[in-house]
Amino acid sequence: MQSYQLETTQTLQYHLADHYQIYQRVDLQNGDSHWQSMESPQPVTPLQKLPISSPKQFFFSERENLFSFDGECFRETVPEPEPFVLFGVQSCDLTAIAYQDQFFAEDPYYQARRKQALLVGFDCLTPCEYGFCHTVNAGPGVNPDCADIILHRQPGGDWLVLVSSLKGKQALRGLNLPAADSQALVGRDQQVKNCIEQFEQDPSLAQGIDQLSNETIDNDFWQQLGLQCLSCSGCTTLCPTCSCYGTRDFVDDTGQHQERFWDSCLYESFQREASQHNPSEEAGARLKRFWTHKFSQQTVKAFGRHGCVGCGRCEQTCPGVVGVHSTMKRIVAYQAESAPC
Amino acid sequence: MTIHSKSTICPFCGVGCGINLLLDNNTITGVEPQASHPISRGQLCAKGWSTAYGIDTHDRITQPLIRHKQSFKETSWDHALAFIGKKIKDIIANHGADAVGIISSARATNEDNYAAQKLARAVFNTNNVDHCARICHSPTVAGLNMTLGSGAMTNSASDIFAADVIMVIGADPTENHTILGGHIMRAKLQGTTLIVIDPRKTRLAKLADIHLQLKAGSNIELINAMLEEIIEQQWHNKDFIHRRCEGFVSLAAALEGAMATAIKTTGVNGALIHAAAKAYSQASNGMILYGMGITQYVSGTFNVISLSNLALVCGHIGRPGTGINPLRGQNNVQGACDMGCLPNVYPGYQPVDDIANREKFSQAWGCRLSLQKGLTSLGMSTASLQGDFHGLILFGENPVVTDPDQNQVRAALKKLDLLVVAELTMTDTAKLADVILPAASFAEKDGTFTNCERRVQYIQQVVSPPGTAKTDWQWLADIAQQLGSDKLNWKTSEAVFSEMARLTPIYSGMSYQKLKKNHGLQWPCNQQYPQGSAILHREQFATSTGKAELIPVHPVAIDETTDTEYPLTLTTNRLHFHYGCGSMTRKSPLLERETPAGILFINPADADANQIHHLGPVAVRSRRGYIETRAICTEDVPPGLVTMPYHFREAPSNQLTNNAQDPVSKMPELKACAVAVTPLAAGCQPRDSDTLHRSR
Repeated sequence: MQSYQLETTQTLQYHLADHYQIYQRVDLQNGDSHWQSMESPQPVTPLQKLPISSPKQFFFSERENLFSFDGECFRETVPEPEPFVLFGVQSCDLTAIAYQDQFFAEDPYYQARRKQALLVGFDCLTPCEYGFCHTVNAGPGVNPDCADIILHRQPGGDWLVLVSSLKGKQALRGLNLPAADSQALVGRDQQVKNCIEQFEQDPSLAQGIDQLSNETIDNDFWQQLGLQCLSCSGCTTLCPTCSCYGTRDFVDDTGQHQERFWDSCLYESFQREASQHNPSEEAGARLKRFWTHKFSQQTVKAFGRHGCVGCGRCEQTCPGVVGVHSTMKRIVAYQAESAPC
Repeated sequence: MTIHSKSTICPFCGVGCGINLLLDNNTITGVEPQASHPISRGQLCAKGWSTAYGIDTHDRITQPLIRHKQSFKETSWDHALAFIGKKIKDIIANHGADAVGIISSARATNEDNYAAQKLARAVFNTNNVDHCARICHSPTVAGLNMTLGSGAMTNSASDIFAADVIMVIGADPTENHTILGGHIMRAKLQGTTLIVIDPRKTRLAKLADIHLQLKAGSNIELINAMLEEIIEQQWHNKDFIHRRCEGFVSLAAALEGAMATAIKTTGVNGALIHAAAKAYSQASNGMILYGMGITQYVSGTFNVISLSNLALVCGHIGRPGTGINPLRGQNNVQGACDMGCLPNVYPGYQPVDDIANREKFSQAWGCRLSLQKGLTSLGMSTASLQGDFHGLILFGENPVVTDPDQNQVRAALKKLDLLVVAELTMTDTAKLADVILPAASFAEKDGTFTNCERRVQYIQQVVSPPGTAKTDWQWLADIAQQLGSDKLNWKTSEAVFSEMARLTPIYSGMSYQKLKKNHGLQWPCNQQYPQGSAILHREQFATSTGKAELIPVHPVAIDETTDTEYPLTLTTNRLHFHYGCGSMTRKSPLLERETPAGILFINPADADANQIHHLGPVAVRSRRGYIETRAICTEDVPPGLVTMPYHFREAPSNQLTNNAQDPVSKMPELKACAVAVTPLAAGCQPRDSDTLHRSR
């Protein structure tokens, strides 16, 4: 992994802007943060708040046409985006993109966008409000396998640039950055370690994950918790690794189209069959499936990791108080209560 | 791909959650919640998450349509407006100004609503203006005005976290006001005591500390019993009553025997009533939240007064974590009321029959104004059937699906000489129109919405309207021009707001600039409260004396009781997944998939007795109509009660409902009527209302 020294990120942003459409995280006045396309690059600010939505929408579109029929011909509608860069993605969301890359490996719509994207990651140096990336091995330092370029802010305000892929190397061509000294990587490790130490300790997370992964939780628990799940779809919409979708046909002036849209396994109708039989009619059964999917051993087997990257978005967005922190606490409390004396 | 995100306010219920619309150029691709929003705090309900589907452009009306025999043909705005202008002139010339009226929309902005009532009053010269608050919270406006002097939520959403006892009565917030329902669940998990009073086992009832499962329509009996118990046990707040209330002695006297009556009539045992009375009255801060299980009865206004009595006697008002808090249905139903889209008041609840008010508005608008109160929406229907009302302009409402006694509503609208409907998509009401105007959705215009906690929030135009669709205040101004008036000739929505704020004392301290900061302002916002008011009635009440009125109320029986022919009571409810007539939410493939298009909830015992099976087809009949739908057998409804949501045009509950009205507010009794439910042959499909209509 090559490493360089950079005084200001704008040097890199302007360089990339010659070849890529730039998307950046923008902090709004009200404190919210979200991804936005930039006319011209803006100075990068340290991450105060995780962007409300993860960048999964850049690859797996919330709604997109799969094909159209004009009465005579079927027409493929695979997107053809210009090259673009996501500048400053934090490690949890990058880990999720790597996860989605596996899920959508054969999906032409996803891959058409993904191959045009350059991912510039940012090491997080302070914990965010609901985050627990270090517990699920998804941060706060960016995993080189998940980004093309990694930026790390050094104590003096300069940046360490790590090039972690061929695409990243090609993107930097012509920029002639000075090489970083050998101590820089050691400094990075130390800062990331410091960040991990600042995370609030929540032992219920690891304990809850353990229980889920060993599938030791009985159905009574899920039944109780299910009463609080309102099937709003917020968790699955914001979850950077959720990938369920539905399709429908619709007609407009230009013909007939098939649209794909984000679905949610927390909807009662998600698994309902045509006969009306429904293996997950109860909200508790759906929560069980959702959390088991995120943390089961089968997921680790299939994807090489948990299906949760510790961003904590579900905790914030859940009106029913059954996001990840709340659920794990309830699991631990329930298991302690029902444990034999 | 150009991705942006623009902040606005959710267009569904009265909670007023902050949303960002995600845009790819001029297309809305999705929604995200605003983490910084003071109410929604980064959360949304299923409807909110589906907002983008609701305003999809592929089935929108994009050009004015004019009736041509049994169908419609596209026409120009000029032609449509000229046609409307001429018809209105003719009707006024032949039948007088009170033969026309406007039904405005609780979904539209304050600016649109202000323009609607001004068109009726200043241009048509009639007070015939109303909107759907008539069928949700008109008893709240009437009842709380009498007792507290102000008919709105006394506290704020955040007070849910400041209460140590929350009492939810006749409301199902996790379905209808989901984010507030979630707040209540969170508060309960954090230790707040939750009392739920509801005939159904709602989600909150299942989580509650105390659930009083009363019989539908016995609210007054139950509340009076609580009051009697509180006074008998000396749990009432004597100091508060002494300092701030009038009428305690006659209230206390009128309560005698209330507990004994309640035990006989409500179906709730005395010990539970005692426990609820104790918990609420002994709370440091007790908060009441209520919904249409209080208002949609012939006793609606009295129900509201009884709740007001309860809060006042316990002194739970005027502080954080207390109050009497109606949960409003539409995103801007509070605003539509505030704007004076009611037949008896100008903007800011200034009565039209008060000469000083008339002078004030007459001078401001430069015209003569009528001193006579106008017709309510149901009054317009009745007058139409009687041949006294001839021309109606209606926007953003679908009364054919949402109003009681559908057959009557349809007949009344059909009888009009002119029906103008402005809409996003073709609704059942629009199908009856002479002219349909294409309206801009909330994402396609600037303006303000006022949520149920009186918070006025700015919404910005995010995309351009499809085709030639216009903002409501713009086409309302065009109609005024056809009638030779330039009184609605504003250039911007901000200019509409400024004019309104000058004339509306509770909004007088507001401007767009101030609203854009800090997620809006709560009224009253004026010289005295420049930063708005999170809590009403802190020091004194808004009555003429400054004191609250305790008014004794006696039980009122529901209008239509069961008998051998119609042995079950039908009440109406709503589902988390749908909103109103479903014209927006049913465009989401996800929400549409959640339930069959029309359902009836029935207790398994009643289902068994009638050979009805879960999800089986059933016929439901009342004295007014007949529908076919599917049964869902559930213990959530008690034996003897069946419930239906009104979202589905295929099986409209309003074929069945009763339009007997609360004498004070003219609220129809949507919450109780007598029905018979019978099974249809197994395997047969329920016929939808269109098929049934054709076969008649």
